[in-house]
Amino acid sequence: MPPPATSTLGYTPPDGGWGWVVVFAAFISIGFSYAFPKSLTVFFKEIQEYFDVSYSEIAWLSSVMLASMYAAGPISSILVNRYGSRPVVMVGGLLVGLGMVLASFGTSIIHLYLCVGVIGGFGLAFNLQPALTIIGTYFHAKRPLANGLAMTGSPVVLSTLAPLNQFLFDSFGWRGSFLILGGITLNCCVAGSLMRPVKKTAAPVVSTESQSCVERFIDLSLFKHRGFLIYLVGNIVMFFGIFAPIVFLAPYAKHQGIDEYSAALLLSIFALVDMFVRPATGFVGNTKRIRPRIQYFFAFAVSLNGVCHFLCPLLPGYAGLVGYAMIFGVAFGMVCALLFETLMDLVGAQRFSSAVGLVTIIECAPVLLGPPIAGAMLDAFGDYKYMYYTCGVLMLLPGIFFFIMNYYNYKKLDEEQRRKNTAVEMKTAEDSVPQNLSQNEDLTTETEKLKS
Amino acid sequence: MSVSCLHFSSQLLLLLSFHRHVNTISENTTSITEPRVETPAPKTPPLAPLIPTQTAQRNVLLTGENHTEEIEVVNPVVLNLECIWPGNGKRLPNITGYWTKDGQTIETSYSNIQLENDLYRLIREFTIMNEDDLGNYSCLFGPKAKVKFIVAAPHLGEVRDKPIVSYVGDSVVMVCKMDEKKPQPISWNWYIQNGTNKVQIESDSNAHKYKITKDGNKTKLLVYNLTESDSGVYYCGAVYAVAISMGYMQLRVITYYEPLKPFMGILAEVVILVAVILLYEKIGSRKHGESAGTEENKDETNNLSHRDNDVAVAHSSTRQRKV
Repeated sequence: MPPPATSTLGYTPPDGGWGWVVVFAAFISIGFSYAFPKSLTVFFKEIQEYFDVSYSEIAWLSSVMLASMYAAGPISSILVNRYGSRPVVMVGGLLVGLGMVLASFGTSIIHLYLCVGVIGGFGLAFNLQPALTIIGTYFHAKRPLANGLAMTGSPVVLSTLAPLNQFLFDSFGWRGSFLILGGITLNCCVAGSLMRPVKKTAAPVVSTESQSCVERFIDLSLFKHRGFLIYLVGNIVMFFGIFAPIVFLAPYAKHQGIDEYSAALLLSIFALVDMFVRPATGFVGNTKRIRPRIQYFFAFAVSLNGVCHFLCPLLPGYAGLVGYAMIFGVAFGMVCALLFETLMDLVGAQRFSSAVGLVTIIECAPVLLGPPIAGAMLDAFGDYKYMYYTCGVLMLLPGIFFFIMNYYNYKKLDEEQRRKNTAVEMKTAEDSVPQNLSQNEDLTTETEKLKS
Repeated sequence: MSVSCLHFSSQLLLLLSFHRHVNTISENTTSITEPRVETPAPKTPPLAPLIPTQTAQRNVLLTGENHTEEIEVVNPVVLNLECIWPGNGKRLPNITGYWTKDGQTIETSYSNIQLENDLYRLIREFTIMNEDDLGNYSCLFGPKAKVKFIVAAPHLGEVRDKPIVSYVGDSVVMVCKMDEKKPQPISWNWYIQNGTNKVQIESDSNAHKYKITKDGNKTKLLVYNLTESDSGVYYCGAVYAVAISMGYMQLRVITYYEPLKPFMGILAEVVILVAVILLYEKIGSRKHGESAGTEENKDETNNLSHRDNDVAVAHSSTRQRKV
């Protein structure tokens, strides 16, 4: 059983009401954070010709943006810990908007790297972390569902931005499109304004003097947290292999002789399945049977990815690829929906902000290195199947790791909980008998609430 | 193909043969003229002399009533086209056959065709020297059967059908590519549409306005210092010995005001929404604060001042941006 986080939060999260508006706002912020860098690929061809650069130089634009987004994680966490989610998201929206507007006047590719990549990336980081954090403050009992719904923002915004960007490009060229996209990303400020800080009925915990300057801003003691370390190690390995199969799906299809439109359709199928699986996973993760053991559910999802990639080279023809795209869509959607829910489950909502900042900056390396390494593998072996087998291994290993380590972790947590319960019982037994009864009731009602 | 096998042979035979004769000069090429190409005389590559010394042959066995054949021509060539028709079962001993070019009947081509071995044959030689000789050549067996040969220079692939958009004062790059698998052109030309004429763009004299790069089967036209009058249709031509294969693209030059209008619209929408959301919250919490006790009032005022700061921050930053 995960530790009863309600007691550590110090208040009862609403689990509804304005919370659903916050979920919608988080949907927008998370959607832009993940989908925006991917959606810019529509403009690459023309920008490449305009600045007379190679394809890899222009592809770097997305990478720089993604890298900045992940690297700025800790800064975002510190700001959220200090000021709350709302101001950070609004500043984030302004940064992305500013970055895009400046980029529309760009005179060199470096100018674009700085404006779109660095400034834009920071802005997106200031959207992602606070959006995830605020869900943890508004929800506890329905948190997996809320997380699943919010994470659905990514495929939905991507499906909207892709044709929109094409339309903007046809109407205004790349400069005008960047200007208008700057305006569109300002809507993250609207999302931020919806992120009302939750009403806390109890006073917040005052930081003790024993904490160092850094620790007051970001919780580095997380590195001693067992659950956090399990999550971190598993995720680092997982992120090496998570994005490469998506990047190479269309090229793999074309390599097999499938035409360009059918290859693009595979990605659409994948995105569509992903879109529906995320809220469904959130719903399933919320059920009485799964919620207490949600780490196993996540481990299953990760392993499913691994198995899926192993099967890919074995499935013949276009029908096989369609099947693969669908199963991959399910597996990927499940992982994404549970990705941050499991972290919240392990470290608790209070420490989540610092945890996610630390996780994203460490994940920066595998996220960036994954697809190029896969590409290099492809060049070396000339056959896609080795790359898929490797990605399969890179997903299956963390999956199994999560199963084993979380089994161990759950056992330890149950032991600690039992010890805490007996300690509390002994303490109250020493005080007075009537109080003893009410304390037990409190503990049991909290755990019952969690089970529901 | 719906007519049963009783009438035709069941296989679709397509006989292709290309022979190159070094010494072939037929009666159609008595005048050895330079092919009329709209460029300064191209450097003659060693394999393609100006006199068509190449001969190509296409034989088509027609099953059904219609067939279309595409023939790609790069250098001047003498084209030997043959149409073979098994007839439609009536087995007439004589029928009239003739050739057309681009729908116009070639008067001298009328001939009486005898039925030999159950087949009617029409054969004719065409000299393809320049652009005027390219087109659709068809052989017709009476009114019944037709084979169309489309004789053309290699087509450009991947030409953008939507207009390229650029801005006043900015520059633009237009690209034309010939497929890797197709023969490489001798050179590339660029033209701009002026009324109904195509005017060739010279890159040397106007180096500060136009720049043309030619790179085998790819070419780029760079236009600097764009003005609205630069909008229009541009043509790129792949120069081959026989003709120039054209592709076209449209350039649209707009001012910065065009994207600025939707941008300002979206900006206004964002500012209005943020203001409405924050004001609604302020009003809502003030109402709640009035009806509640002192302790909650303290929380509310803290939240309110926090929110006031947010509104002020949002408004001041947007005010700066509007300028």
